[in-house]
Order: sequence, then structure tokens, then C-alpha cells
Amino acid sequence: MSAMKVLTATRDAALFLMSGAGAALLALPLFWLVGCVALLSLAGVGLPLIPPVTRLVRRLAGWQRRRLGIRVPPYLPLEGTLPVRVRAAVGDPATPREVLWLLAHGLTGSVLGFLALGLPLAALNAATLPLWWWLPPGSPPSVLGYAVDSWPTALTGPFVAAAYVGVARLVLPNAAVLSERLSRRLLEPVGRVRLAQQVAMLTAARASALEAHAQELRRIERTLHDGTQNRLVAVVMHLGMLERALGAAPESTRQLAVRAQDAASDALVNLRDAIRAIHPPVLTEHGLDGALAALAARSPVPCVVEVAGFPRLPAAVEAAAYFTAAEALTNVARHSRAGKAALRVHLDGGLLIVEIEDDGVGGARSGAGSGLTGIDHRAAAFGGRSTLTSPPGGPTVLTVELPCGL
Amino acid sequence: MRVVIAEDDALLREGLALLLAAEGIEVLDAVDNAADLLAAVSAETPDVLIVDVRLPPDFRDEGLRAAIEARRTRPGLPVLVLSSYVEDTYASALLSEGGVGVGYLLKERVGKVQSFLDALHRVADGGTAIDPEVIAQLLVRRRAGDPLHALTAREREVLALMAEGLSNTDIGVRLVISEGAVNKHIRNIFAKLGLQPSDSGHRRVLAVLAYLRA
Repeated sequence: MSAMKVLTATRDAALFLMSGAGAALLALPLFWLVGCVALLSLAGVGLPLIPPVTRLVRRLAGWQRRRLGIRVPPYLPLEGTLPVRVRAAVGDPATPREVLWLLAHGLTGSVLGFLALGLPLAALNAATLPLWWWLPPGSPPSVLGYAVDSWPTALTGPFVAAAYVGVARLVLPNAAVLSERLSRRLLEPVGRVRLAQQVAMLTAARASALEAHAQELRRIERTLHDGTQNRLVAVVMHLGMLERALGAAPESTRQLAVRAQDAASDALVNLRDAIRAIHPPVLTEHGLDGALAALAARSPVPCVVEVAGFPRLPAAVEAAAYFTAAEALTNVARHSRAGKAALRVHLDGGLLIVEIEDDGVGGARSGAGSGLTGIDHRAAAFGGRSTLTSPPGGPTVLTVELPCGL
Repeated sequence: MRVVIAEDDALLREGLALLLAAEGIEVLDAVDNAADLLAAVSAETPDVLIVDVRLPPDFRDEGLRAAIEARRTRPGLPVLVLSSYVEDTYASALLSEGGVGVGYLLKERVGKVQSFLDALHRVADGGTAIDPEVIAQLLVRRRAGDPLHALTAREREVLALMAEGLSNTDIGVRLVISEGAVNKHIRNIFAKLGLQPSDSGHRRVLAVLAYLRA
């Protein structure tokens, strides 16, 4: 390591420790305040002070976390009635660790900060010693306890300064590392807290993945609809005009136009099926509830729809719910011999629950060839699951849970 | 016959205008959005509108809604709605607005020029033109015990064509059978479905469609 780098590292460590000392100077009084509130609370009168003091502690800890790039733990919110707030403040696993940090950082941080400030100042003082000696006459300056009263003693100054710098170089970076490690140890979310945070992060990641997927679906659907499909229709249309314009031409020539037209028409049929499989247009236009109502209206077995109001969901989730309901209703029509069916959809937390019930013969099983396997797979692909209860004699209830990243 | 076209895709709009002009049909105006369509309807006197379901700005059902709106200002104004895909629910939306002079076809049907022109004339004359695809959607998924299952294959064919809005003569031509045979099939169908045998006009189509949509 070059001398320059070493000096930069030392300077950074000193600055880090000095700003840490700021927090430490606040941390110590805050620690005593916490102690007082704790004592008062034992007597009962301190309870109302707990939430605001906890808020102060969280703030100071938050400042240190930002400095170190530590994620904020998922705090229990300090809201609601006083008992709720007190329980949240005391029960939060982060609280005791933060109070301990107040004490630990308060003690070490102020000492180390003093060192980080003092060593460079002492070095500066020593380095400029000849100047002090040479400049104004007066009481002689002193260094390391001996008075400077001659040029030779004055010229020892720079050497003493070098020694200070050497000490700072050895001590400050290590002290900074130790101080940081201490804070990390106490302020980083641990164990189940970290797990909860990961769950929250994964949920957010899934939500954004679903949203991105939804946008992608819409983009593909639009491109196919307004681009490819219209071009093909134009081809079909112009071939139709060509066929008529050929009027008097030999039958074989006209047949060519007709055959080209039939091929383009087939392509259009395929394209429509593909678009429907990607994202049924009826969903785009009528939303999930409208699309489900249309499904139920078409169901051979009379079907009532109960949809609890919910916002537009990610397109992929809506499509999955739609296809699930469509397949389930087809199954009901094919196998159940039911007289009536019900389709219920509601949002439970982050789960979209799709439930299809019929009063048929029961005994349905998920297995090869049945549409239920497809429903299982679709739900699994979304990290959801499907459960089927179908005792002989019915009723059959299929429940599909789809996480929707809300 | 004078028509106004509303289609946002330039290639299709101009192609359609060209096709109609070649067949001696006067295209009064060809616009690319719903507002211009309504303006054209009040400024000119079209005999029939040809409207794309999806129009700007949202490309959902602006065209369909504009068509319904146009029929409110000019009651009975025949409208032929074209769409990239068909849903029986949209057909219902159109038909429930009275159902006289209404057409709902897949865009690509334009390619079969003669049958497209037939449909256009039928609609302009106050008849109906419903896409075979819609009828197919209505015919699948019938419940067990539905009288439709009692129909013979040929009777189902006749029913489908009748629901599309074809006249007895046209049905006969399409299926290569005599008009008398068509009449016989239709009597059987109405008897099996328990419908009142009505005249061969537009009311018959509506009765059949209403039965299928029920």
C-alpha cells in the first residue's frame, strides 16, 4: 500500500470516528433517558413516555444505520392506543438491541472520536513546533511534557508529529473497524427479523415481476392485435379483391388467389387462438369480474357468480384466474351432472381465491386427462395451490389460491 | 348505397374504401376515430356505417360505443361492426340495442367479398349479419337435456345460418338444397325448440338469437 493510500485510509477512519462521536454524544444522554423512563414505568407514570422515547432511539439508530448502509428492520409501528404503542415499542425485537447500542456506542464512540480528533491535532501541533518557538516571544511552548526552550528541542517537533501520525495510522483504522463492527452487531436485523424482511422483499420482488410480466403481456397482445392481425386481414382483403378483379381469368388462376386467401385466413385463426391464450381480450375490456360473468353466462350448468369487489390485479393473475374458472366450469359441465354451480372469487390478503362449487355427483379426482391437472399446474406456476374436496355424492368444491403480489 | 367507414388502421381503411368503390358503393367518408365518425354521421347521410370495434385512444370498444351512440342520434341507422375477434357478449350488447340493421363480423370476412357484400346489403336493409364464429360460441356448451340436442345435424346447420341472418333462399344456396327443403327444416327446428313459427323476416332471426342467448 502506498503512503498516500495509507494516509487517505487514516483520514477516512478519523472522519468516520469523529462523526460517530456526534451520535455517541447524543447516545449517552439518550441511554440515561431510557433508563429513567424504564424506572418511571416500573412506577407506572413513565408508560406514556415510552413510545416517544422509542421513536428517538429509532431515529438515532436509523442515523447510524444510514451511515453504515444497514437496512432498517421491519419495526412494529408505533400507532394506535397507548397500550398498543407501548407493547409495540417494548415488544419489538430491535428495541433492546438498540438500547444496548446506545450504551456501547455512547461509551466507545466518544472515546474513539476524541482520539480521532486529538491525534491529528497533536500531530499538527508538534509539526509546527519550530514555528511556535521561532515566532512570538513569550512563555515557551511544550511538547510531550518537556518545555521547548532551544532550537534543538524545537526541531524535535516534526519527529514527534511523525510519531503521532504513526500511532494514528495504527490505531484509527482498526478503531473504525471495531466501532463499525459493534454497531453492525447490534443494529443489523437478526434471525427471524431478517427472515421477515426477506419475505417482504420477495413479496415486493414478485409484485414487480408480475407487473413487468403484465406489461409485457399487454405489449405482445397489442403488437399481435394491431400489427400482425391487421396486416393479415389486409392480405386476405386484397386477395379477395384480386380474386374478383381476375374475373375472366382462367379458373386455375383464380384458385391460386383463393388458396392464398385460405392460408392467410388459417393464420388468422391460429393467431386469434394464440392471443386468447396469452391474454383473453375480454379481460382487457371487461375486467376479471366482467369476464367471469360472461363465462358463467355461457356455462351449460346454471352458474351464479359472487365476486367481492377488488382492484385490477396483475394481468397474468387475472388471466390465470379466468382460465382456472373456465376449465373448472368445463369440468363441471362434462363430468359432474350438476344442476347448479357457483363461482366465487375474493381477495384474501395477498391471495386471490377462486372457488368453484357444484351440486353434482362428486367423486372427482385430480389425475391424468382431467382438467384438474391443468388447474393444479397453473396454480403451482404462480406459487399458489389448488385443493379439491369431492366426496361421493357431492358437493364438489375446488379452491384455487393465486398469490397476486399485493 | 352510401357508407361511412371508421377504421384506425390506414391500410385496412383505404383497402376497404377501395374494395367498396370497386363494387360501386359510395364511400362518403373514411375516418380513423370515434369523434370523426359521429361528426360524419351528423354531417352526411350514410345508409350504413362500417365500424371497427377497437378505435383510439384506448383501443377497447370505442367503435362499438360510437356505433350505439350514432344509432341514438339516428335511430335505426344500420351499423356493421367489424372486429379482430368476436365475443358473443359484444353481439348481445349490439342486439340488445334493438337489433334492427345490425351486423357483427370478423374483419377477415371482408376477404370473401361476395358474402361480405351480401351481409352489408342485408344490414343496410334492416337485416342482421352475425358472424358464424359467434353462432358457434352460442351453440357450444348447451346443457344436457337442451332441446338443441334433439336437432339433426342438418337442422343445426340451418339453425346456424338462420341465426347469422341469412334468408331461406340464401340458406338453400349455401347448403345446396331446395328452398322447400329449407322451409321444412325450419318448421321442424321451431317445433323442436318450442318457438312460435314466425315469418321469414328479421323477427325470426331475433327469436332464434334470443333463444340461443337465453
